[in-house]
Amino acid sequence: MKRDLINTGLLWLVLTILGWVLVLNWNIFPPALAREAEIVDNAFNLLMVLAVPVFTFIVAIMIYAAFRFRDPERTEDGPPIRETGRIMTAWLVVTVTLAAGILINPGFVGMAEIRAGGEPDIVIGITGQRWSWTISYPNGVDVTSYTGELVLPVDNRIEFEITSLDPDVIHSVWIPAFRIKKDAVPGRITQMFITPTETGSFEDDPNVRLQCAELCGLGHATMAMKVRIVEQAEFDAYLDEILAEGS
Amino acid sequence: MTTSAELIEHGHGPSKQRRINQLGLWLFFASETFLFGAFISSRFATTQTETPADLNQALALGLTIVLLLSSISAYMAETANAHDDRRGFKIYTIATILLGTLFLGGVALEWTEALEYFPPGTIYGTAFFSLVGLHAFHVLTGLIALLVILFLGKEGRFGSKDSWPVEGVIKYWHFVDLAWVIIYPTLYLF
Amino acid sequence: MWPLIRGTVSGIVGYLIGALLATVTTSSTFSGEFALVLGFAFGLMGWLFGIGMWNAWGRQWVGLPTKSEDADGWRRYFRFNTDHKVIGGQYLVTMLVVFLLAGLVAVAIRAELASPGQSFFAPDTYNKVMSMHGILMIAVAVAGILGAFGNYLVPLMIGADDMAFPRINALGFWMIPPVAVALLAAPLVGSFNAGWTSYPPLSVLNADGQVLFNVAVITFGLSSILGGLNIVATVITMRAPGMTWWKLPIFVWAAFAASILSLTVTQFFAASLIMILLDRIAGTTWFGAPGGGTALLYEHVFWFYSHPAVYIMVLPGMGVILEIIAHFSRKPLFAYKASVISFLSIGGIGSIVWAHHMFTSGMAQNLEGPFMALTELVSIPTGIIFLAAIGTLWRGKLWFQTPLLLAFFWIFQFLIGGITGIFLADFVTDLSLHDTYFVVAHFHYTIVGGSIFALMAGTFYWFPKVTGRMYNERLGKIFATWFFVFFQLTFIPLFWVGLNGMNRRVGTYQDNLGGVNRFASVMAMIMALGFVLFVVNLLWSAKRGPIAGANPWNARTLEWQVSSPPPKHNFATPPSIDGGPYDYGTVGAATHLSGATEPVG
Repeated sequence: MKRDLINTGLLWLVLTILGWVLVLNWNIFPPALAREAEIVDNAFNLLMVLAVPVFTFIVAIMIYAAFRFRDPERTEDGPPIRETGRIMTAWLVVTVTLAAGILINPGFVGMAEIRAGGEPDIVIGITGQRWSWTISYPNGVDVTSYTGELVLPVDNRIEFEITSLDPDVIHSVWIPAFRIKKDAVPGRITQMFITPTETGSFEDDPNVRLQCAELCGLGHATMAMKVRIVEQAEFDAYLDEILAEGS
Repeated sequence: MTTSAELIEHGHGPSKQRRINQLGLWLFFASETFLFGAFISSRFATTQTETPADLNQALALGLTIVLLLSSISAYMAETANAHDDRRGFKIYTIATILLGTLFLGGVALEWTEALEYFPPGTIYGTAFFSLVGLHAFHVLTGLIALLVILFLGKEGRFGSKDSWPVEGVIKYWHFVDLAWVIIYPTLYLF
Repeated sequence: MWPLIRGTVSGIVGYLIGALLATVTTSSTFSGEFALVLGFAFGLMGWLFGIGMWNAWGRQWVGLPTKSEDADGWRRYFRFNTDHKVIGGQYLVTMLVVFLLAGLVAVAIRAELASPGQSFFAPDTYNKVMSMHGILMIAVAVAGILGAFGNYLVPLMIGADDMAFPRINALGFWMIPPVAVALLAAPLVGSFNAGWTSYPPLSVLNADGQVLFNVAVITFGLSSILGGLNIVATVITMRAPGMTWWKLPIFVWAAFAASILSLTVTQFFAASLIMILLDRIAGTTWFGAPGGGTALLYEHVFWFYSHPAVYIMVLPGMGVILEIIAHFSRKPLFAYKASVISFLSIGGIGSIVWAHHMFTSGMAQNLEGPFMALTELVSIPTGIIFLAAIGTLWRGKLWFQTPLLLAFFWIFQFLIGGITGIFLADFVTDLSLHDTYFVVAHFHYTIVGGSIFALMAGTFYWFPKVTGRMYNERLGKIFATWFFVFFQLTFIPLFWVGLNGMNRRVGTYQDNLGGVNRFASVMAMIMALGFVLFVVNLLWSAKRGPIAGANPWNARTLEWQVSSPPPKHNFATPPSIDGGPYDYGTVGAATHLSGATEPVG
């Protein structure tokens, strides 16, 4: 009995350490080019670190049971243990603590962080329609995904005002390098706030793209647009350029 | 056959079968409540409590009274059957059917007006036609069930010894009436 | 075969009458949307009356004596038979066939996804194939365990001779064939491409096939509601003397909790699909923004059913697994009462967490916090189920047979499904993971892990009871391990591609994810091959397997105390119960069915 507990405990410890080594050393994310992406990745990592011991606890017991508690003879029953108040209490205390813990952090803490960030420096409109995106820049010029790309200034707080044509279907604005997404719903304007922290472009990494993430029919998979994050000066030049082209 | 057919399927006695049937019917009502609930909550979710001024309030009030009266006559029919009063059962069932038909006629009248003032293409019209239509469909099924028990009663079925089918149908009728009692204020009284 | 022919003919006649009626009364064409709806409704009635509802039931509504549609031998499976064991068998075979069919569709999907570009399917064809796979698998997960084992075992386990409403039970099953016909006929009228979730406005604007999807799924929902009603009523009213609530086998509790959900919330799915039909056909504007409606309404109404639906799928799976673990560990089920309370509270809390599917939808911001909190609350009762599983295994005397092996695999996978569920419940990480392949991998872990693996485990566990013969143990273990190993190799990589920019429901994707996807595709195809072992094992063993006897597992629940297969009315005399279902290891404990077997140990 005691030996069983010690062995399983050791197995749990070994598996947990292995899991943590794996989780902490393996970067599974694509490039994170925005403040929001950092928040998301940190939350993800925190959840992974907390998940490892939970996962290995159950797995350790299963592995140990599978090898140690087999009874090929089939001669007798196991001990009639039904429930012990102490184990139940301990289990509830641990699970409630864990649930409350992740609810606070990364739950509400992450929610507050991602909502904070101050007033937007620039507002850019994104309109989805089957199956293209139209970007409306502050200087009044529209660029579509057929011909152009989405160019954003680094270190600016950007507010996207997102909608879908009316009538059209629901789309969803997702830039994987920024992580977060927001639906484009006909007849509504939704908002998404992003602060890009690094420059980059689709040519560097395919995750620097604006992808439709809500099934919208025929062209859903290819309803994407290249994104380029540039320095402020370059962005200003870009705005002038499209304005000149437009007029 | 003089007893409910459900008895043949189980070995147990009529009083237990009656309890099982009653429970089944109440579970069905619970389920139906969710269906009505989905539409009623959708009405509030899309239009809040907005009601157009063109609603025919007098007609709706009249329909409500007709349906409530039909619940009373349905109750009388059930009681008459339980006391083996065949004549009373017949009269009150027919009265219930007539009142129910009157209600459906009123709904039809109301719809012709509604098509003009708030057609299904408006958001209030959407909620109005969906909810009233859903309810009218239930009234229609209730009427068919009432016709069935009226016909079978004339053939000599039911009475105090075999009252479950009557009780079941009348309970369903009450449920449909109750649904209207919720739908009426939902659509008219805000 | 006669009832099938009768049903088919009257179904076709019904369809023609309905469609004609629609053509005559409205401007709909004969193949128009209203004609499809009315035709289906009349066709469904025609089919049901023809298959036997008229003889077994309808005749009494016009004062005629009813005629039994029961039969003996293999013919009873093709009739309006009211024996719960026949209906359970009908569900099991039907759902396994649909599962294999939808599995083939999955192989086609993985074939397309083996390379980043377009290989086999045009983009919209891909969407249609993916939608078909989705809805077929959802149907299997909803009605697989509950329909097959719920019907077959609940009456046996509680000592009843049948369900509370045997004819409603038969009615529920025979609604399924028209559902299948409508879904499979949808490609004739343009098919449906909006996924099984069918979000409007897409599902209002797409081809007529969507209409067939809606009427089929509404009918399937009705069948599911009737099944749930029956199980709830049966458990409440039909328990044998002495079978108190706290002596119910855990599977009965799980089926009971799932049935309460399916009885109630399924109506919201019906409502959401009816609204789509109204918008398409009657000109209403529930989801059309120009008229003042909103697509968000659909998401609320839909997820009010479809989140709890996960528990309709998984709760019975938990019941099967805990049942197997207790009997094969030769120990009382650990934390039995706590597990029961967990089932009920998973159902209860699970019904008020739906909007965590909508964190990115643009719904009111003040809903986001509460729904995250409620969702994470579900992890506490779910944790108790894991406690029950490992607590029962601990220091048990394990019989390591195929069902227990599958139960181990179930725990492992549902654990991964549950833990990754936390990442989707968390507001911040969900903004990134929502609608990506991370979600796809997650719900395959919960639903294949939680429901399908339990369906497989239960199929092996109760196989000797249903057929009277034993399956092949070695082949069973090879299949179980095969399925498990290649399942991991298929779906673990998909978590990664979801994190790395691959969104859901796409037939083409970015080139840099090609290698991992190809790996997953190959693994998925090998996994699919493994089902040959499953089918061969069951078919061969049902004919040639060694005779199993009444109680090959030496288990204490009631279904093992009658012959295999059980006699027509289950128990010669109504059983009376004094022991509990899991009294293992207690010398001299009363057996579950008093006087029927010797106590073990």
